[in-house]
Amino acid sequence: MTASLCLRDVSVEFPIYSGGSRSLKKLLFHSTTQGNLARDASDRITVLALSGITLDIKHGDRLAIIGANGAGKSTLLKVLAGIYAPTGGRMHASGRVSALLTASVGLNPDATGRENIIIRGMYMDVHPRDMRAHVDEIADFTELGSFIDMPVRTYSSGMMVRLCFAVATSLRPEILLMDEWLAAGDAAFLHKARRRMEDFVAGTSILVLASHAMPLLEEWCNRAILLDQGRIVASGGVKEIATIYQAQHA
Amino acid sequence: MVSVAISEAEPSSAADWPPLPSRAALAWRDLVDGFGKSWMWAALAFQDIKLRYRGSVLGPFWLTISTLVMVAAMGLIYGRLFRVDTANYLPYLALGLIVWQAFSGMITEGCETFLREQSVIQQVPIPFSIHAYRNVCRNFIVLAHNLVIVPIGLILFAIPVNWHTLEIIPGFLLIAINGLWISILLGLISARFRDVPPIVASFLQVVFFVTPIFWPVEMLGDWQAIATLNPLFAAIDVVRAPLLGAATAANSWVVLLIMTVLGCGVTFAVFARFRTRIAYWI
Repeated sequence: MTASLCLRDVSVEFPIYSGGSRSLKKLLFHSTTQGNLARDASDRITVLALSGITLDIKHGDRLAIIGANGAGKSTLLKVLAGIYAPTGGRMHASGRVSALLTASVGLNPDATGRENIIIRGMYMDVHPRDMRAHVDEIADFTELGSFIDMPVRTYSSGMMVRLCFAVATSLRPEILLMDEWLAAGDAAFLHKARRRMEDFVAGTSILVLASHAMPLLEEWCNRAILLDQGRIVASGGVKEIATIYQAQHA
Repeated sequence: MVSVAISEAEPSSAADWPPLPSRAALAWRDLVDGFGKSWMWAALAFQDIKLRYRGSVLGPFWLTISTLVMVAAMGLIYGRLFRVDTANYLPYLALGLIVWQAFSGMITEGCETFLREQSVIQQVPIPFSIHAYRNVCRNFIVLAHNLVIVPIGLILFAIPVNWHTLEIIPGFLLIAINGLWISILLGLISARFRDVPPIVASFLQVVFFVTPIFWPVEMLGDWQAIATLNPLFAAIDVVRAPLLGAATAANSWVVLLIMTVLGCGVTFAVFARFRTRIAYWI
């Protein structure tokens, strides 16, 4: 089966819990006290992060998600990754998904780099036995040297990025979702990452990339959508969409 | 993994898609898939233990030693206070404390089931139940280290080992099942209501003193019934009594079974309803 991601009229409504709504005590007792406490307990505000998203991403697509901060890029990636269940609409995903959403990627700060490779592999459904075969290759790519046997809390953010990137791209998922955090790597690493990515994307998979770096998007992607306040306002070629976006934000 | 073949080109409308499985079916699948990944949660639980005791020479056996010290100290003092025979009291106390530690560990860490795995839940879609299985497994690993004391005690106090001793197997099984629903239920509630973990912690302290863990249940006299209705006593009793070569209290099994069935039922309903909200809450 080929990889695909299909969304139909997907919306995501976020509850924002503030003050009293985080407290069970207040929720339980608000009916017996009056006035401001009652308001306190139910001050649940919801934010419509995505609405009416209909999208088909097929085999071979390299989709760029473009939009201002807070347009819903990261939320959309999390829906695609299967982390946020849509509060409205439907989504179907087929294929093995790997998401690189933030640099920390569930790294355990007290475990060593090597242990974290195994742990991360487990979260991606790879048995430690099979993951061990990749460890040396990953350690090589990250150029962490002897740091690979040090606890991850001693790493710089660039080192964490390298580790996460190397692990996520070692496993050849069919669908790779990436947020713009990759920029945290240094220039030399970015160059190396790009080569690895090219190999990786060439392996007939889906890439979805959210970023502000237009040159990067133009190089890596073959289609784009423009998000604004949780809606797709335009879709088409990367250059075309980038021009629209830059015109809006000039 | 949801996998459905979608016809090419023509974007079909969602109305043509097969109906979504019910919430209960999805929750059940989560529990079954999670259990099936035993290699994952077992390895993660061992990793937790490894990290917790990294750099210490004795590793998790520190816990065994601290339990031994606690048993020795409490045994001396409370044995006097209660005017009971040390040879009877020490094994009773030791087993009570060991099982209590495992159970209360699952309860306090159960509050953190989903909260502590926040970064994982926000990154990878794995069955939520895995975090709960991991919690139970981790506490059973600790329990196993503490149980090293048991054979020593059995020999030292010449406690008869017979077929009744095997009763501890269903006993531990029920404790594990209860640990599982507690981890899921408390984990869910704590993810939504952040004041729950401290409430649970202070509540547990009260429970420790009112449950016959370190005091002999017979001392309650006419009030014994109250103690034996306590599900925590039941959980301790079904393991402790067989190991002491004694009979379990009359209603221990019944109380424990009722707690298991009720707990699982309530938890399943809550889990099915709110499972997909966990990622939004944390």
